[in-house]
Amino acid sequence: MQIVVAVKPVPEAETRLRVGAGGTSFDPEGVKFVLAGYDESAVEQALLLRDAIPGSSVHAISVGPATRTEEVLRASLALGCDRATWVETPAGTPLDPLAVARSLAGALGSPPPDLVLCGKQAGDDEAGLVPAALGELLGVPDFGFAVNLRWDAGRSRFSLDRPTEGGLERWETPTPCVIGLQQAWNDPRTAKLPNILKSRKAPIAKAPAAADPGPGGVPEKFELPAPRTGARMIDYKTPEEAAQKLVKLLREEAKVFP
Amino acid sequence: MVDFSLTPDQESLRDLARKFARGEMAPHAAECDKTSRFPEEIYRKAHEVGLMNLNVPTEFGGSGLGLFEQCLIVEELAYACGGMTTSIIANCLALEPILLGATPEQQRRWLAPFCAEYHLASFCLTEPSGGSDAGALRTRARKDGDGYVLDGEKCFITNAPNASLYTVFATLDPELRTKGITAFVVPREAKGVTAGKDEEKMGHRASSTGTVRFEGVRVPAADRIGAEGEGFSIAMRTLDQTRTPIGALATGIAQAALDLAAGYALKRVTFGKPIAEHEAIQIKLANMAQAVRAARLLTWNSAWTIDAGGRGTLESSIAKCFASDAALHVADEAIQTFGGYGYMKEYPVEKLLRDAKLTQIYEGANEIQRTVIARELLRGYA
Repeated sequence: MQIVVAVKPVPEAETRLRVGAGGTSFDPEGVKFVLAGYDESAVEQALLLRDAIPGSSVHAISVGPATRTEEVLRASLALGCDRATWVETPAGTPLDPLAVARSLAGALGSPPPDLVLCGKQAGDDEAGLVPAALGELLGVPDFGFAVNLRWDAGRSRFSLDRPTEGGLERWETPTPCVIGLQQAWNDPRTAKLPNILKSRKAPIAKAPAAADPGPGGVPEKFELPAPRTGARMIDYKTPEEAAQKLVKLLREEAKVFP
Repeated sequence: MVDFSLTPDQESLRDLARKFARGEMAPHAAECDKTSRFPEEIYRKAHEVGLMNLNVPTEFGGSGLGLFEQCLIVEELAYACGGMTTSIIANCLALEPILLGATPEQQRRWLAPFCAEYHLASFCLTEPSGGSDAGALRTRARKDGDGYVLDGEKCFITNAPNASLYTVFATLDPELRTKGITAFVVPREAKGVTAGKDEEKMGHRASSTGTVRFEGVRVPAADRIGAEGEGFSIAMRTLDQTRTPIGALATGIAQAALDLAAGYALKRVTFGKPIAEHEAIQIKLANMAQAVRAARLLTWNSAWTIDAGGRGTLESSIAKCFASDAALHVADEAIQTFGGYGYMKEYPVEKLLRDAKLTQIYEGANEIQRTVIARELLRGYA
């Protein structure tokens, strides 16, 4: 089975972002980019499927500028992906989800691979649109927000669950298909030191970005959340006193009770 | 041109160590410190991801890293826990004599099976009657047919209670002083080897430390490292290699202390403003930051010198001595910044002071480092 995993570089979770010069995005200077969390789970799932299904291979692919995109592809190779393809885009170009999906579809070619895995959304813009757009462009079934992905070899189908309000929907799909995976239902492995060193020297294929990125949106403004106002500490001697003072404040100042 | 930036390869190794340190080590650091627990499951994971036998060539199953890359990793690990780091890197110290003095056949025989699985080794030099005066060691190696018989006791040996392999320095004749010292590889299961209990220590409590006693232990000649009488030279050349990572370990502790102090100073309010806005604390933080950076740069300079083929005796002594003194000072100032809270075990800074203290003592006490620095220095003036 040909398994493709589409990955995206996102700023490390603890990064303190600053507004960039144009005011339409964050300033990438000094920002450390890592494999997006949901994508890490997708890579893990791809590797588990490859090891369970004889004759499979995992191909990592990413769209974006140097050097962050190359770095997450190397991280994917270090985790165990068999090969990697980089669709390089000029630095500073806004990456509209549809444009990314078009570039991915172009690079993956025709016929599409048996399975394309993505994180359900990236940890930076949280748009979650690429899996759906890619499925449409490739003309194959696509599912977002999937968990419990399983391969039924006898029927050559995947089954998966989608959490809904108060329950789970169960779906099954033939291949080829595109699946956006939820995080936190597998435990992504840590790359081993020798594999990291090997991945540094591994070749990475290049593919051109889509000539026509499509009618994408243009970011208008990027701003940081307003700073939080200070917390108020309540002085108290007994829990009863603390509760009384809290209720008084909630009623009279915050006005959450009549 | 001199360049202090890291290559992408170096950054990815540092990232791995950082991830391991913060994800696997840090959550258990306080608990292992409190209970003096040896977290073997963490050391097993360190071996699994390749963070253990850093200096052993890849052909023998190690990570095959240069000293500079080792230092990047060690600093990150020590940021999370100095004690765990000591136990993780103790194999580098114990195996270095084999890398420096053993034949290719011996290296294959000992290193490949050792590195393939999780195993610990201990470097057995120090004795109850002397550490710094290594030439005066008393453990005897008597010739006996086609081999030797070892008798004596080693102390303060890192990982000794948990190790399966010992590199042991013993003398053929104490009268010969340094010229009688010879190095051996002794498996834990050899008859007559007894590892003592784990000692109660002030710091590095996640690491184990103990005595190793040798009573009539037979060692075949094939398990001697190098020639008879070459042991002292092998021990000193080993320490020339492994001293620099101690500078990195101390730097990691110092960086952790600075980060905790600065973070606390921004939050703690006195006289109506965060203490970070009081000049007394600003001066403290500025001095701490200088010490941390100088420690790191001296460590990098030493690692670079040795990786470039230099012996680095002067550079590594300066790095180890300066960084360990800096770590103690920065940890002390971090406690002072925290005030009374810093003295409480509930907060993480007092552990850093206790952990920093050992870096001034082990792998050559700082008094010896200063002796070496002065000797190397004056050679240039004579």
